[in-house]
Amino acid sequence: MKKKTNTLLILALIVGLAFHGSAIFFTLESTYDALIHLFFADHYASSWFDPWEYRWYTGFTVQSYPPLVHQLIGILSYIGGLKFGMYTVALIAIVLFITGAYRYTLLMTGSRRIAGYGAVMAVFSSTFVETLHIFGQLPSVSALSILLHAMTEIYLWIKTGKTRYFITSATMLAVTVTSHHVTPLFGMVFFIAPLMGMAVMDAAREKVASYKALTFKVFWGTTLQHFWRIAKFGGTAIFLLVFCIFPYWYNSKRNPITQVAIPHGSRDNFLEITSSGLVFFLIPWGVFLFILPYFFYRYFSKRYVFFGLSFTLLTILGTGGTTPIPRLMLGEMAFNILTLDRFTLWATIMALPIFAEFAYRMVEGDLKTLIQEKFGGVYHRVLGGLIAGGMLFMVLFTMTLGYFRPSQPAKIKMLPIVNFLGADSHDSWRYLPLGFGDQMAWLSAQSGAMTVDGNYHSARRLPELTTRAIERIENSKFRGVEGIGSLQQFLTVPEKYNLKYIFSNDKFYDPILYYCGWQRLQQLENGIMVWEKLNVAPIPQIMPKQDVPTIMKIMWGVIPLTTVLIAIFVNIQMIWVRLLKSRKTPVHSFMKLELPYNKFPSKLLTFSHWWALVVLICIGYGMYIFYVKNVAQLSPNNVVESYYDALDFKEFSTAHSYLDPEDNIDIAQYMLEVSVTDGILSSYAKLDSLGIEIYDETENSAKAKVATRWITPLENVFNNDYHELVKRKNKWYIKSKKVDNDIPPDQLFTANGTTYYNHGRRKITTQETYHEDVLKQPVLEILSAKLVKYKGQYSVIGELQNVDNTPADVVIKATLYNDDDKELANYNAKHQIKHKLMPKETTTFKINFEGIAWSSTKDTLPPTFDPDQFTPVSFEERPTKFNLQSAGNTANTDLYKHVALQNLKYTDQGFEGVLFNSGVQEVTIPQLIISYYDENSELLWVDHKFITEGVRIQRKQFFNYKPLALDSLEIISSSLENCFVNGLPNKAIADKIFPDRKLIHGKQQTQPFKGKGYDYLKFEINSYIGNPK
Amino acid sequence: MDGKILYILAFILLGCSNKKEEQTTSFTKPAVEIISNTTNSIAGEAITLVFKTEANVNTIKLYIKNAFGSTFLSPTISENENIVFQIPKNYTRIAGPCRWKLLLEGHNIQEGKFDVATNAPKATYIESYFGPRSVTAGYNDYSMLTIAPTDAFDNPLDDGTKITVKYQFQENIDETEIETESFFAFYNVRSTLKSGRILVTAECNGTTSKELATIVYPDNATDFTISGTSAHNYADGNQIITFTSDIIKDKYGNIVTNGTLVTFVIKTDKDAYLYTIGTTINGIAEAKTLHPDEAANWEIQAFVTGAAESNTTNFTFNAAIKDYPVHFSKGNRNLDIGPFESFMKQLIPDGLLTQLDIYDANGTYIDTKKTTSKNGVCTIFLGEHFLEDGDYILKLTAAGITKEFRKNIHGDTVK
Repeated sequence: MKKKTNTLLILALIVGLAFHGSAIFFTLESTYDALIHLFFADHYASSWFDPWEYRWYTGFTVQSYPPLVHQLIGILSYIGGLKFGMYTVALIAIVLFITGAYRYTLLMTGSRRIAGYGAVMAVFSSTFVETLHIFGQLPSVSALSILLHAMTEIYLWIKTGKTRYFITSATMLAVTVTSHHVTPLFGMVFFIAPLMGMAVMDAAREKVASYKALTFKVFWGTTLQHFWRIAKFGGTAIFLLVFCIFPYWYNSKRNPITQVAIPHGSRDNFLEITSSGLVFFLIPWGVFLFILPYFFYRYFSKRYVFFGLSFTLLTILGTGGTTPIPRLMLGEMAFNILTLDRFTLWATIMALPIFAEFAYRMVEGDLKTLIQEKFGGVYHRVLGGLIAGGMLFMVLFTMTLGYFRPSQPAKIKMLPIVNFLGADSHDSWRYLPLGFGDQMAWLSAQSGAMTVDGNYHSARRLPELTTRAIERIENSKFRGVEGIGSLQQFLTVPEKYNLKYIFSNDKFYDPILYYCGWQRLQQLENGIMVWEKLNVAPIPQIMPKQDVPTIMKIMWGVIPLTTVLIAIFVNIQMIWVRLLKSRKTPVHSFMKLELPYNKFPSKLLTFSHWWALVVLICIGYGMYIFYVKNVAQLSPNNVVESYYDALDFKEFSTAHSYLDPEDNIDIAQYMLEVSVTDGILSSYAKLDSLGIEIYDETENSAKAKVATRWITPLENVFNNDYHELVKRKNKWYIKSKKVDNDIPPDQLFTANGTTYYNHGRRKITTQETYHEDVLKQPVLEILSAKLVKYKGQYSVIGELQNVDNTPADVVIKATLYNDDDKELANYNAKHQIKHKLMPKETTTFKINFEGIAWSSTKDTLPPTFDPDQFTPVSFEERPTKFNLQSAGNTANTDLYKHVALQNLKYTDQGFEGVLFNSGVQEVTIPQLIISYYDENSELLWVDHKFITEGVRIQRKQFFNYKPLALDSLEIISSSLENCFVNGLPNKAIADKIFPDRKLIHGKQQTQPFKGKGYDYLKFEINSYIGNPK
Repeated sequence: MDGKILYILAFILLGCSNKKEEQTTSFTKPAVEIISNTTNSIAGEAITLVFKTEANVNTIKLYIKNAFGSTFLSPTISENENIVFQIPKNYTRIAGPCRWKLLLEGHNIQEGKFDVATNAPKATYIESYFGPRSVTAGYNDYSMLTIAPTDAFDNPLDDGTKITVKYQFQENIDETEIETESFFAFYNVRSTLKSGRILVTAECNGTTSKELATIVYPDNATDFTISGTSAHNYADGNQIITFTSDIIKDKYGNIVTNGTLVTFVIKTDKDAYLYTIGTTINGIAEAKTLHPDEAANWEIQAFVTGAAESNTTNFTFNAAIKDYPVHFSKGNRNLDIGPFESFMKQLIPDGLLTQLDIYDANGTYIDTKKTTSKNGVCTIFLGEHFLEDGDYILKLTAAGITKEFRKNIHGDTVK
């Protein structure tokens, strides 16, 4: 028989390359993982043998991920850059996958025709589309493809015992191991084990006349005959798995993953969190869902029974947290570390041959005949069209998912940032990107500068990060309070990490940056705002590094590519033979096992129809629930929810459509009213939870109490709002609220002020800044400082003044000691201080001692997080003394002081006050710093309150503040002895600059108020301006 | 096992020591004569050492050591049994002693030293520092000028080198002469009583340093006076009152630095402490705040905290609104409040806050409604979803005037 080139395979390759090959240029860079691999590739391109990478997480080792794909991209990058390398490797992976699917199908079915179908189905399988175009898991795809190729060889080795097949299978397995470690590890269990079972089964089948005669006894006998081949291969596989990536195992032993479990969508209950269900269940399965009964029917036939078991297992494991079974099977530990989507991926890949077989039977086989007989030819065509259409729809839907629901921020031009980092020694400090998504890896790959963040959380070493269940600090807002809490630690004590620059692509983070004492430096031409922190030392020249033995470095650098070279060398002859058909090769034994496909079981067809109906009903029900929940004006509850959703996503015209039309507020007026309200809730908040309580509901009216919890960068805001709802023409509406009619007196007014500019380096030079260009540090004076204990928590409070003639940026750090002068803790002032002071301005401050969250009590990780994101340091001993180190640096921004306290009265609800903005900048978030004093005007406590709405120019803003009860406050130490300013003792400064200070001024500026444990208090105002003009 | 290692170590050690002994025994010192003996030189001048010897020239080496470092030299030329060593530039340019040793096969055969003197005449460079970059006017503060004069090769000039320091402040240029000690000289430029900029420079051997400056900032502020001005003195809650200080100066008569923060503390007749902030420009601080919306008497005092305070000034706000009508309609559910007429019977500017506290008939607090005036009137509507029919006490507060009503609310107005 003359062998013909398989036209379907060629077709699949051409279509696959054209379709996936052109699509990757639009999808790959916005996938979750691709850019991470690019960063690793950049590492290998610049230092092939040294595994230590300084740029992420204050240093980590790349031996924490198998290197083959990264090294391939790295080598290819010498030809056409990193992205060229990535696309080339992706194209290779596509070819490997299609051919792999072909060979796997051929092995399973023994029919070249069906194998051709398999190749075509592989091109359009939604699971492959998702893995490549949405997840960007290049190593995983490559490893899986090679594993598929290896399967034929493994089968032949077990079956024939020819050394040639042993060598080919071992070389291919080695390549799989070096490209991805999890694939061969689980592949052994889920793919290779059933494959061996099938090989033995086939061998046993050859001994008897029919499958019926194939008893367990015969099978067992054959197994024993083949035992040594199985053992030999198994041993080799384990050896390869250990040896080829030995440095990886060595590193896992040395640096065990301490990361707490990071929530992953694949572990969710797919019925509850439908978005996870879509991405991790519906998309990968796609139309396969309808044909599940056929898969099980075929896989539980005698020949495939081991695959059947494996397939069932994979299907169940892939359901994540929907059922408790995966958790029970894997155990709590593995369940929380593994991402379970890979099981679904494997299950769907495993189903490919059977699906191809189904397609074959449907298109030209016995199923076609059966359906035509039973239901007629038209029905067959409609059914076929539906299946093909469904497949096509899933592919298009998956492909465009990233377009309609972008998982990443818009593409950022990195060049301005790379240039900024390269200029003026900015890379002598660490930086932190905010709101970059996975593109942060691409930035890191292009720059030599270091960041405290990173995008490969298994390699983290800082306890600040490993103890938090966040992927990156960069997107901390999506992890709510916990994420923001982690970010705040880095912002408050940046000098610990030599962190000086922040690139903000999300203005959500701006307020916390401001209140932690950061200042805007400039806006780059790509719109990224650069923030900087003063008083941070550059990264030391010598940095800690965890070295590994040279042999490990050589193994890591040499083995992966060698496995590829050997595999190519060994298999090239085979490929040559197959492609050119130059030599006659014997037909493999499995080719004889092709089934005749002459009788499709009628019962199965009927069952499949019922099953499809059930699936359709489930989908229909899901859509109905979705509809009921989302139709905005169906019930009072829906209208309130939709209204708040619209506000949260800033869809103001939608929000307006929910307002009572009889209030006659036109859209223009509404937009105008919305646009003038600024503040933390309208500009910087993310709605976290919405509690709607409907009461007094009648036929046509209701009242709603809406308890909202907003995540803001500063703290959680709890708000209670009351709405009146009316029903008109079967639709519910919200009654609009009154707006403030206040108008300022002046149309045009003038304001004068002092502004500052610092040249930085006056001489353009690459050398260290000249001595005469270095500004003197402004002198501060600490007026009072106390260590207090309030509600079981230690704080250092005090007051300081900028006594110099230039504005100062203030950094203040407190260290606590016990009686034996043992250091217990240190921390910086976070937001309970005015960080920018004009000459002679005073500020009160409070320093709380924050520990690294949950580092010591990992097992008691709270399931819901503390609203104030605060983990107090647990003190083993009682602190009795403290040391204060403050530093002033010349400030020239954020010096707006024109917010006045215009009215204040005490009522049952607390202090009711009015802020008035008399200047020319709109204050977005005003902050009150409230200090409490005893009868001798000695400072007792410092508290703060953020006001949720901004103060517009020449306008008022009302606030309410409930004073605290301080009767339980304990002053432990009150001393100015160990207080230092710019490294000099505070007393010397006081004596020199303010020898005759008028101490009475403090008392003259405080509000007498007899409260619990105090006699005076003072309100100070700190203003964050969102858009300085 | 351990024993074995010890044996091996012992053998290795033995092997080493044997070799050493052999070397020492075979060496005899050859006769060496120095021909050109330089003992003094000036930085930058070439130095050559010439020796005469019969020993094997190829193995002879000169070891030299000075402040730059140490090195071995091979002979450059050897003729007529003379060996010539050219001392490299790096060594001849460094002032100070330079020691040498002539070595043959590792043995010292002769040693000596020469001194290199600073090359002051060729050229003098000045390295100068001046800091801090700003001082406070008065008698206490000073900036220090530090000068390190060097020759062309960066050798510090000898102690006792004379340096002329010049400093300029306003019209005065002063000059003084100091001498280096331990290779550098310093001079404290004392602060002046007037604020301004002091420029300094130094001169040594005809070379001058760059211009360096320190800024004399004014001393702490002294007491000052303030005044308040406004378009009118009615409490309309809309006009803006401006507080202005006179020119704030320090005790030497200097105007305080621009940007000095002045806090204007307002004490109201209800004993509330309000404040507003101004920063100085040319010594004058200006701060603004809003008129209250009810009659009030304000006492204002300003502070430069810790340093200076102002007089206390008073400002009396007369009530702009004497009274206002309230009209109930729609079953007492609709309240039309106003028109609010201001001091000239004009309608009050938009934005007057009106607050309605609602109590039930027994005086139990239910709720508060707030609204602001528009076109001189306020409207509050109490919908039937909001308040059921019944008797209520309504307390209305606007412009400091509180009115109390007891009303029966009834009727359904929304169909």
